[in-house]
Amino acid sequence: MQAFVEEMAEILGVAPADLVPDFKLADGAWDSLAIVSTIASVDEHFNVIVEARALGDCETFANILALAKQGA
Amino acid sequence: MAIAGKEFGNVLRLPQGRIAGVVASVPKRVVGNDHFLQTYSADEVGNIEKMVGVKERRWVDLGQTTADLCAAAASRLLEQLQWAPESIDALIFVSQTPDYRLPATASVLQDRLGLGRHCAAFDVNLGCSGYVYGLWLAMQMLQGGGMSRVLLLVGDTISKVVDPADRASAMLFGDAGSATAVEAGGSGGTFVLGSDGAGAPNLIIEQGAFRQPAAGQREGGRNPACLRMDGGEIFNFTLKVVPGLVNALHAAAGVAGSVDYYLFHQANQFMLKHLAKKAKLKEDQVPINIDRYGNTSSATIPLLMSTELSEILTLEKKSVAMCGFGVGYSWAGALLEVGPLKVLERIEA
Repeated sequence: MQAFVEEMAEILGVAPADLVPDFKLADGAWDSLAIVSTIASVDEHFNVIVEARALGDCETFANILALAKQGA
Repeated sequence: MAIAGKEFGNVLRLPQGRIAGVVASVPKRVVGNDHFLQTYSADEVGNIEKMVGVKERRWVDLGQTTADLCAAAASRLLEQLQWAPESIDALIFVSQTPDYRLPATASVLQDRLGLGRHCAAFDVNLGCSGYVYGLWLAMQMLQGGGMSRVLLLVGDTISKVVDPADRASAMLFGDAGSATAVEAGGSGGTFVLGSDGAGAPNLIIEQGAFRQPAAGQREGGRNPACLRMDGGEIFNFTLKVVPGLVNALHAAAGVAGSVDYYLFHQANQFMLKHLAKKAKLKEDQVPINIDRYGNTSSATIPLLMSTELSEILTLEKKSVAMCGFGVGYSWAGALLEVGPLKVLERIEA
């Protein structure tokens, strides 16, 4: 889990400590490229393929975690 | 996207057919990432370079087309193989950037290359999966015994249809053409071919053909006469299809541990590395050249062979898996023995 948080922090361009569940994705580098990276990261750490459209609807980091755990 | 039943497509075994030689051709003009600093910030350029992995690519000038690149490759190939033009029984041109909407570019190339009037010539409109589809088609044409040599010309000049305002696709694509000589004999190959047109809207040029003639006006911040790509959707598709396609090839040919090289369509470096890791393939089995040439659409696989495997495949026979996947959606896998080839080279045109 910690490795996933660190990877997501890098994708969003924030410090890992700042990536709390209610972190607003709009406050980080959340764009189409970040969505592609997130799909890969979730696949690697949870063995789940999250849909790009569902990720596009996410507003917080908690929303991403929920998608990853939902599919796991 | 539901993929059920035959899962990833029909398994097609062709008992004969072999690749005799391959020449890939790229434009002389090298476009580095500094070119994009005129339009985007250094951070944006850096982020995209990191994600897609392209450091430079080759772009044609306005007057040069895919057919020009393929014709140069074909001339070189025929000369090196010492194949007389009149010995070619069929010419297949696979591209999504033909010279004209009609006639078929293959017809024009038949005359340009001095091939005989007995030569069958036609175009195939496929992109990322196009080389493997073309190889299957070329080998299929050799099965009946009526033909003995097929010239497969595959390439694209996507630089002409990217929207310069769309940074992800503007920096991703390069231009290239190729010529592959396929002849009767040899051990053929195993192919798996599939399609899912539900993905069509995710990689598309909407205007300019007959459904929507080009209007030339931007809509919602983008130009519908240019390429539109939804990277997230394409990545989802790739993750769902490609590992299964590789497994289907392994199962069909019963050779899981003995494939020497996996030649993947060079879609995006980040995606390729993730796929290779997921499929547990060794790094040296999965050559990559997208950093130097970008994603050249239908031409990635022959270009990859020419830049990364030229030495080995001109000396030895190797077991090679090829996987093309993308626009359509369309995908195709092949497993075949390649080499020793008389010619496998990359030229500039």
